[in-house]
Amino acid sequence: MWDLALKNIMRNRIRTILTTLGILIGIGAVVALGSIAEGLNATIQSSLELTAGKITVQQAGAGIFGMGSELTNDDVELLKSVSGVKDVVPIVVFLGPMQGFSGPEYVVVGIDPDKMNYFAGENFKLYQGRNIDEGESGVASVGKAAADKFNIQIGDSWTVKNEDFEVVGILDTTGISDIDSSILVPLQDLQAALNRDTYYSIYAIPDDVKDTEKVVVAINDASDNLQALSSAELARQASQIVDQIRFFTFGIGAIAAFVGGLGVMNTMIMAVMERRKEIGVMKAIGATNSMILKQILMESAMISLIGGTGGILIGVGAAIGLGALSGGSIQGYVTPTLALEGLAFALFLGVIGGLYPARQAAKLDPVEALRYE
Amino acid sequence: MIMPEKTKPDYVIETKNIKKCYGDGCKVTALNDINIHVERGSFVSIMGPSGSGKTTLLDVLGCLLKPTSGDVYLDGKKVIGLDDNELAVIRKEKIGFVFQQYNLIQSYTAIENVELPLRIKGKSKWEAEDKAKRLLETVGLGDRLNHKPSQLSGGEQQRVAIARALANDPKIILGDEPTGNLDTKTGQKILNLLKELNQKEGYTLVVVTHDPRVAEYSDKIINLLDGEVLNETYPNDSRELEAKRGRK
Repeated sequence: MWDLALKNIMRNRIRTILTTLGILIGIGAVVALGSIAEGLNATIQSSLELTAGKITVQQAGAGIFGMGSELTNDDVELLKSVSGVKDVVPIVVFLGPMQGFSGPEYVVVGIDPDKMNYFAGENFKLYQGRNIDEGESGVASVGKAAADKFNIQIGDSWTVKNEDFEVVGILDTTGISDIDSSILVPLQDLQAALNRDTYYSIYAIPDDVKDTEKVVVAINDASDNLQALSSAELARQASQIVDQIRFFTFGIGAIAAFVGGLGVMNTMIMAVMERRKEIGVMKAIGATNSMILKQILMESAMISLIGGTGGILIGVGAAIGLGALSGGSIQGYVTPTLALEGLAFALFLGVIGGLYPARQAAKLDPVEALRYE
Repeated sequence: MIMPEKTKPDYVIETKNIKKCYGDGCKVTALNDINIHVERGSFVSIMGPSGSGKTTLLDVLGCLLKPTSGDVYLDGKKVIGLDDNELAVIRKEKIGFVFQQYNLIQSYTAIENVELPLRIKGKSKWEAEDKAKRLLETVGLGDRLNHKPSQLSGGEQQRVAIARALANDPKIILGDEPTGNLDTKTGQKILNLLKELNQKEGYTLVVVTHDPRVAEYSDKIINLLDGEVLNETYPNDSRELEAKRGRK
């Protein structure tokens, strides 16, 4: 009977198209906003890979990524003394100029050259050139993405606050965006360039990864000024934020979609009123109440599924468009789950919107409906 | 095995003491103590002035309306006490309706209108189309299959409606003033078609009418007045009908 449903909804084309548009915009909003939340999640998850197996130490009360922490050498010494800590990696970060939504243009990370493996991973490889030697000064390693972005060659120099750094190596792609798009320089050099003797954050490396949580507790007990977070804890906090964003974006989209659902209900109520007599005829020639119910639900489901499918396409388009507008930092990420959720939500709206008119239609008394003028 | 309740086998419709009333404490009586029967293959007219209960009786016979009390047997099956769904199934299996206003679906073509009862019966689009085409040819509209009701004359629309009524191979065709909206000439043609269906195809016809010509074609006229059967007359009390009765 789907062919009849299509025929029926196409009777009043303009009304059906407008109703479909309502659903389309609503589901489009759900998908587009949802895709941004998914994209954000993917970005954050990739950043968090950086902290795997490490304990991130910030000043107590600092934000999730340690913004604004001022950690000192005393803190470094204190951390070294905590039992279960194998090594301590202080870092300094300098952010390039901000580019609207896309965040900083580049990131310069100051780190001890011999501790690079903690930052770039045990198995980081060079794409070109060599590693920075211990104690070396005025040199830089560049992530592959940053090298590509700024067309950096070995031997080029990179300037941070009037200090020049000669690029001696380009790192192979790690897949962790914070490394691939970073410029790595010796710690003391960056401190000097920035004229600061404090650290942005400190990674504490546990003797045994299994004891990470114990070491976190030990660090937090050892100092009131320091706040240690395991990567699991960071992940948990990040996913909380992502969940809040998801909830918020879904909420906005859902309101739009809900209005679309009201449109479906309105359209179907009108259609049932207009087709009273016809429903009477259908009953007279043998249609049961449940058949009439199904027929009307099919029609509202069809409107909402067409709208939902269109909405997913529009949502994908919007996600891609936003990604392009933001220069790639906001990646709209339309996962199959998100698309399915969008479609399921559309269907839900259609069925809910159609239920009341469908029940009214099913309940119509055939004798009255037949002679309705 | 449960034996189906049987009435006399040659009665396709039989009613026993049907009463239909409305309002608190049955203030308004539409039908009172109706006892009629319709023989299989006969053409029966129900006549009477406005408000005499003709249409109410037809609605009861067509399982669209449940009487307040009394029994109705259709094709040997008791239909009183059935729920809405069961009544819908009876309508689907046994009854074809023809209305004064034709009641075609305006946005469907002739053939789609005729397909509708078949689709409701669960036939495929393809099967329904095939049969609807044959039926429209039977009623003389083989060249109007894809016309919409608005593109058809009143007589043609009523032919489509008759084809639709025939689509489910009904035991009984119920007509509610089938010629009431048509001019004399067209009405006559529709009447001829109905008579042909009755005589050649053996359909049982029960028609509510004001039209004396329809009555002339009938084997039996049931005259109603104020919700009661006034009398039954036999306009064509021919030998044939006599013979039919004699065979009992």
